[in-house]
Amino acid sequence: MRRTIGLAAATLLFCAGCSSMGVEPWERDILAKDEMQLTTDEIEAATDDHIYFSKEASSGGRGFGGGGCGCN
Amino acid sequence: MQRDIRLDLAEDAWQGRFQAMGSPCEVVSEARKRGDALEITSLVAAEAWRIENKFSRYLDGNIVDRINSAAGRPVEVDDETADLLDFAVTLYRLSEHRFDITSGVLRRVWRFDGTDQVPEPENVREVLQRVGWHRVDWQRPVLTMPHGMEIDVGGIGKEYAVDRCAGLVKELHGDPCLVNFGGDLVATRAPGRRRSWKVAIEGDVTAAPDRIIELKQGALATSGDARRFLLKHGVRYSHILDPTTGWPIPDAPRSITIAADSCVEAGMISTLAMLKGVAAEHFLKAQNVVFWCRR
Amino acid sequence: MSRKENRSISAALAAATCTLLGSGVPAPVDAQEEPLWDFNTSLLYYGEDDDRVKDYSVSAIARRMFVDDRYLTLGLTVDGLTGATPSGAIRQDVPQTFTRPSGNAAYTVPAGVLPLDDTFKDTRVALSAGWQQPVGETSLINVGASASKEYDYTHFGVNAKFARDFNQRNTTLSAGFAYSFDSLDPVGGAPTPLTPMLDVGDTSNRTGNPDKDVLDIIFGVTQVISRNLVVQANYSYSMSDGYLTDPYKVLSLVDASGDTLPQTLTPGPSHQYLFESRPDERTKHSIYGQAKYFMNGKVLDASYRYMTDDWEIDSHTVDLHYRIPFGADSYFEPHLRFYTQSEAEFYQLSIPDSQPLPSFASADYRLGDFDAITAGLKYGWRTRNDNEMSVRVEAYRQTGSVPAGQIIGNQAGRDNYPDLNAIIVQVGYRF
Repeated sequence: MRRTIGLAAATLLFCAGCSSMGVEPWERDILAKDEMQLTTDEIEAATDDHIYFSKEASSGGRGFGGGGCGCN
Repeated sequence: MQRDIRLDLAEDAWQGRFQAMGSPCEVVSEARKRGDALEITSLVAAEAWRIENKFSRYLDGNIVDRINSAAGRPVEVDDETADLLDFAVTLYRLSEHRFDITSGVLRRVWRFDGTDQVPEPENVREVLQRVGWHRVDWQRPVLTMPHGMEIDVGGIGKEYAVDRCAGLVKELHGDPCLVNFGGDLVATRAPGRRRSWKVAIEGDVTAAPDRIIELKQGALATSGDARRFLLKHGVRYSHILDPTTGWPIPDAPRSITIAADSCVEAGMISTLAMLKGVAAEHFLKAQNVVFWCRR
Repeated sequence: MSRKENRSISAALAAATCTLLGSGVPAPVDAQEEPLWDFNTSLLYYGEDDDRVKDYSVSAIARRMFVDDRYLTLGLTVDGLTGATPSGAIRQDVPQTFTRPSGNAAYTVPAGVLPLDDTFKDTRVALSAGWQQPVGETSLINVGASASKEYDYTHFGVNAKFARDFNQRNTTLSAGFAYSFDSLDPVGGAPTPLTPMLDVGDTSNRTGNPDKDVLDIIFGVTQVISRNLVVQANYSYSMSDGYLTDPYKVLSLVDASGDTLPQTLTPGPSHQYLFESRPDERTKHSIYGQAKYFMNGKVLDASYRYMTDDWEIDSHTVDLHYRIPFGADSYFEPHLRFYTQSEAEFYQLSIPDSQPLPSFASADYRLGDFDAITAGLKYGWRTRNDNEMSVRVEAYRQTGSVPAGQIIGNQAGRDNYPDLNAIIVQVGYRF
C-alpha cells in the first residue's frame, strides 16, 4: 500500500515537474480537436464505467468511481 | 492618423489590430508562425489604408475630393472608382432612391451626438436641394455633378475594403482568417482549431452582448444606431436619413445584422432593410437571408 | 414594394456585388446563432448469454451554456434490467431448490446447471446535475449532485472538482471528491450474514434497511507533451463504509467430498446454503494513466489503471481505442480492453462444513480471480444536419478460475467458475 502511494506521488511530481514541456499557444491546433480530448464521449465513458463497475471489482480511474447502484 | 499595427496572441490565434476608416480593425488568423500573421495583417492594413486614402471624404487630393471640388466640371475616374459608382447606381435603383451617395451633405444640418439638436425644417429643405443622384450625370468613366453637391462612398467603403482584403489574404495564405473592420467582417474559411468563429452582436451600449453567432465562413455586417442617434421628447432619431425627405427614416430598427456571402452584400442588405423602416423585417424575410433584427 | 420586387433584390444585389468585387468574392456563407443547448443521447443494449442479465437503457445529457463560459449539465438515465445472475451456489449432480430472496416462493435448478437467481427484474432511474464555471483566468470549478432509485436501492451523492492551469495551459492540476449516501431495501430484508437460507415464509434472519457511504477522492495532472500528444495521470482513493454485502448471494455448505449438504426441510431449500458476508469497510487505491496521440489524422487513446484494495484484490486494466477517419465526415474506432483481477481475500467457492465459519466469505464471481477482454468497433458520422451519430458493438468475455486450494473433492470435475459472455450495442446521437 505504502509503495503504491509512493509510486503515485512520484508519478505526479514527475509530471508536475515537466514545466518546461509543452507547446506554444499557437501550436494547439491538433490538441483542440474534438477527438483529442481526454474524454471524447461522455455517455460512452459513463456507460463503460457503469458496466465494468457492475461486473468487475474495480471502478473509476479516469474520474469518480461510478457506482450509485445496487449492482455490486 | 494612427498608422501602426499591433500583433498579439489571443488563445490559439493571432490578432493583428490597426485603425482604419474610423474603426478599430482586426485580422484574426490561424497562421502557424508569427511572421505569417504579421505578413497577413500588414497586407490587410495596407489595402485598408489604400482604400481609405483613395475614397475618404476627409482627405485632400484624392478622387473623392477632386469630384467634390469639381464645381460642375466633368471628372474622369479610374476603373475602381467607376466600379464603385456603378454599384452605387444599382443600389440607388434597388432602394427606390433611398440609398443615395449624394446624401452626405445632409450631415451639415444633422449631427447625431445623442443630444436633442434636431434641425429646423427649413434648413433641411434648403440642404435637400443639393441631394439627389438624379441630378448627376454619370457616363462611365466621366462624372459631372452640379456645383454644391458632394458624394460620400462611406456607406459602401468599409464593406468593400473588407471583401477586397479577404480576397487578398485568400490568394496569399491558405490559413483561415477573419477580417473585421469595426463589426463588418468576413471569414475566409472555417477555422481549423474550433468549430466556428464566434462573433458577438453588440446590443445597446449599456447592455452586455447577448447574441453569439457561430460563423464558419462568409460575412456579417451590422447597420445600427446603437452609437449614433438623437433623442428628443423620447423619440429616437436614428442616423439613417431618407434622402428623399431629408429626415430620418421613421421606425427604423435599432440594429440589423446580416449574414451573406460577401461583406458588401451583407452591408447593403442591412442598409436597404434599415431604409425600409417599419417594413424592415418583412423585407428581410423576402430576401431569404439569415438576419438578426433588434428594435 | 411588392413581394415580387422584394425577391429580385437579392439576385440583383448578388450580381452587382460580383461585378464590383471581380474574382474576389469570398466563400458561401455559413452562419447560425450559437445554440445554447447541447444534447448527447444514447440507446444501449447489454446482453449476457445463457439467460443471464439483459439491460436496455436510454440516456440523455443536456448542457446549457451561460455567459462567460459557464455551463449547466443535466443527465438522465433509465435502465430496464431483466435476466438472472449466479447466486454463488455451486452446481450439483442433483437438482437444487432455493427460496427466493423475497422469502415468498422457491425455484428449482436442474442437475448440472449453474444456479442463477432471477430476482433481477428492475427499473432504475438515475439523475445528475452539474455546474461548471471558470475561476479567474486559469482555474475551473465543477460541482454536482446525483441520485438514483431502483426497487431495492437508493443513492444520493454530491461531488466537486477544482482544476488549475499552469505553463500556458500545458499543465493542469486537479483535485476532486465525491460523496455518496446509499441505502438498500433488499427484497425480503437484508439477511444476517452467514446464516442459513431459510424456508419459504421464514424471514426470521432478516433485518431492516442497511446503508452504505462512499467517499472518493481524486488528484490528477494533465500534461501536454507535444503538438500531437497529451497525457494524464490520476491517483484515486476510495473508502466505502456500511453494508457492502450482496444480500441475494449465498455460498453452498459442502461436506468432505465437496458436495453440498442436503437438508430435510420441505419445501424450502433442498440443500444448505449460507448467506454471504463481506467486511463493512473497503479502502481502494488506484493510479491511472492515459495518453492521446495524434498521428496523421488517426488518434490512439491508450490507458492503464492499477487498483489495489484492503480486500486484497489487485487489478490491471489496459484500454485502447484507435480512431481512424473514413472520408471527410465519418470514422471507425476499434476498441480493445484487457482486464485482470486477483480474488478477494475472503472469496471462496464454497464453505466446508468441517471447519469453523470464516468471518467473511463470498462466492460472488465478481470478487474472484478472472481475466476479461473486450473487443469492439465503433462507427461514427456527421449527419446531414451537421449533428453526430455513432454506433458501437462490443463483445465482453470473462474467464476465471478458482484457486486450486479451494477446490474440494468432487468439485474438481465440474466447471465451477461462471464465465461471462456479453454483447454491448450502443447507438448515440449528439445535437
